[in-house]
Amino acid sequence: MYEFLSGAVTLAHFVAALFFLRFWRRTRDRLFLAFALAFVLFALNQALAHILSVYHEPTSFIYALRVLGFVLILFAIVDKNLFASRARKQPAEINRPV
Amino acid sequence: MATFNLILYLLAVLTCLACTVMLARGYMRTGEGLLLWSTLCFVGLSISNVLLFFDVIVFPTQVDLRVWRVGATFVGLVFLLYGFIWESEDN
Amino acid sequence: MEDSAFSEAFLGFIHTAISSVSAAEVLLLVHRYPERWWTPVEVRAALPADVNITESSIAACLDGLRPHGVLEFDAEKRARYRAASDEHDAHVRTLAQAYNERPVTLIRMIYALRDPRIQSFADAFKIRKT
Repeated sequence: MYEFLSGAVTLAHFVAALFFLRFWRRTRDRLFLAFALAFVLFALNQALAHILSVYHEPTSFIYALRVLGFVLILFAIVDKNLFASRARKQPAEINRPV
Repeated sequence: MATFNLILYLLAVLTCLACTVMLARGYMRTGEGLLLWSTLCFVGLSISNVLLFFDVIVFPTQVDLRVWRVGATFVGLVFLLYGFIWESEDN
Repeated sequence: MEDSAFSEAFLGFIHTAISSVSAAEVLLLVHRYPERWWTPVEVRAALPADVNITESSIAACLDGLRPHGVLEFDAEKRARYRAASDEHDAHVRTLAQAYNERPVTLIRMIYALRDPRIQSFADAFKIRKT
């Protein structure tokens, strides 16, 4: 059961990251890029935790991947709130379909 | 070392909870379906992170909550992907 | 009205400041009477009946326009048109011209540049709603 869920979760994190990437391309909002990278890290974390059969995540360097992902998200939230008043960059691909 | 791990763990949990709260607030304000599914996803991720705490720090040897942790994450991500696929189309 | 009037800068203005056609109509109304201070109630009364927008949406529109350099607000939260620069004023005039001469193009532009569902995810992470 664990193996099944672990594989599914790894893929799901990765697919979610792809969606975030797509949203970033469409809106140019940095937050989506951060979430995309974070979810890739979560996918790697899940995959490595299973492949290396690591049980105690916090005592292993793999946990750093998860933490890094959350740090990225935190940075993105802080960035959005500190720099929200800055006008968004001019969209470069306005008339071309995304 | 244990303190450092605890801090890292707390960072993950608090970030997760913060995301849950902000998305929930956004959903209550706008009613956007995408935000509902995203909120549910982060509820699942938060549960998973809290279970991690119990699994590793509180009951390191007595229980193995791996299946429950990954199960909570799985459910959360199903919600998220459902929301992304069905709710992210243009008007 | 030439396509060249829709410059990158104008499109950028639309993308960041104008969230809907109703928002454009609110801004254009306020722009038409630049000496006047407006409350949301007055805006709703002055807009044609076929414009489908509520007072609270108008208030949200005005609030949303706040950081974009086209309005000023007084102590009683009334709004008045005031362009922060000549460029802002030019954008609003272009908007007015587009609304009159190329409404279909303008509408398509407003909605093509914005996906409210996806953007709502990002906006949820703003702690203070400006």
